[in-house]
Amino acid sequence: MALNGRYPHSDEQPESACATRATPPLPGDTERLAGAELLPCGCPLGHAWEQARAPAGTADPSSIRCPCCRKAIEGLAALDRATRALRTAEHPDTRSLADRVINAVRAEVRLGALLMLNDPGRDLRIAESAAAKVLRRAADTVPGTRTASCRLSPSKSGHIAHIVAITVAAKLDKPLREQAEAVRQAVLHAAEHVLGLAVTTVDVNVNAVLEPSRVPGARSEMSDR
Amino acid sequence: MRNQTSPYLAPRTDLPIRPPPPVPALDATAEDALSDLDDSVLAVRAREDDDDAFAILVNRHSSHLLALAQHLLGNRADAEDAVQEAFLSAWRQLPEFRHGASFGTWMYRIVTNRCLNVLRRPRPVPLDTVAEPTAADPRSSPPRVAETDAATTALVEALMELRPELRACWVLRELHGLHYNEIAHVLGASEQTVRGRLSRARRALMEAMRPWR
Repeated sequence: MALNGRYPHSDEQPESACATRATPPLPGDTERLAGAELLPCGCPLGHAWEQARAPAGTADPSSIRCPCCRKAIEGLAALDRATRALRTAEHPDTRSLADRVINAVRAEVRLGALLMLNDPGRDLRIAESAAAKVLRRAADTVPGTRTASCRLSPSKSGHIAHIVAITVAAKLDKPLREQAEAVRQAVLHAAEHVLGLAVTTVDVNVNAVLEPSRVPGARSEMSDR
Repeated sequence: MRNQTSPYLAPRTDLPIRPPPPVPALDATAEDALSDLDDSVLAVRAREDDDDAFAILVNRHSSHLLALAQHLLGNRADAEDAVQEAFLSAWRQLPEFRHGASFGTWMYRIVTNRCLNVLRRPRPVPLDTVAEPTAADPRSSPPRVAETDAATTALVEALMELRPELRACWVLRELHGLHYNEIAHVLGASEQTVRGRLSRARRALMEAMRPWR
């Protein structure tokens, strides 16, 4: 109606046909309705609003003709125009805010346990969080995989050696066994050649599937509503 | 032999001092590598103290959250404070964040609650700082732009007159596109309550926009 240039002309014959709307809406409709309040014609107010916003050609003709519904949506067009303008205006620059947040987070970074490196003097340590970050990045270099969790724990054979438990999401374009082995080798290589950390075991757990067309970011998921 | 291959082990003192080899731009590379990850993976990594992963989440969500806080609080300074505190709170609470939950909705909840707490404090909101300039469409005529700006200003002012709970419902639904169940989760209310508040908010705003029909 009003929002799509389909607001009823004044010469249209008012009808009370939308009294039939007093029948309960379908569950799918109910989910979309804003107000359960019933208008005098029996139509839920939320239904009238939703009809006013429906794409051209999909609105219920009976609610277009009903004067009761038309009265209920008066002003909705003006509100929606202003809402659209407000929505398009809301992209504040957040660079300085994000920098402040990230600096504050890094200032209080939790290091976690210190792990012993495999040096002859046995006097070098690395924070578990730093080691895990390096190993996650190494695993990320394997095509078709993305690392989620990476935990390090001491091996039963002694404090010098460690076990890595890594959880990845993987595409299904290659056999998982191959991909898991590639992840294992990447982690072992980084542990030995980048960190100097003795790792006896790399447990790889594939717990999610990477979909090629997946768009990252919660916002993009929300914006399709 | 293992030790000779690691660059981080005991330094050799018998070698001449040379400039260090060029170090790849680790931060830029890390950001590029992480930027295609979805929120759930980044949240798991951040929960394990990966501050780079958290930085991506901050950059990804701060604009929407700041817009939300601005519309709830009515001014930029308070909104920035609320969003900054919300992110720091989220960083500290990440170990309790459940894998599988939506990080975005979780952040909406933290920011909204923080804003509602600010609004419950007995202090006036300076309405003269509420109005935001609307981006002008160069294709529009100046009178039309002016009219749109004025209508938008009227809407923002009407929004600030609403009770904070109604305002939050309307902003989350109409400006941020959240589903009713997500709004209910964010506000800790039932979906029925959300529908009722949204209905009341819309009715009040429609009334406020009457001069702009």
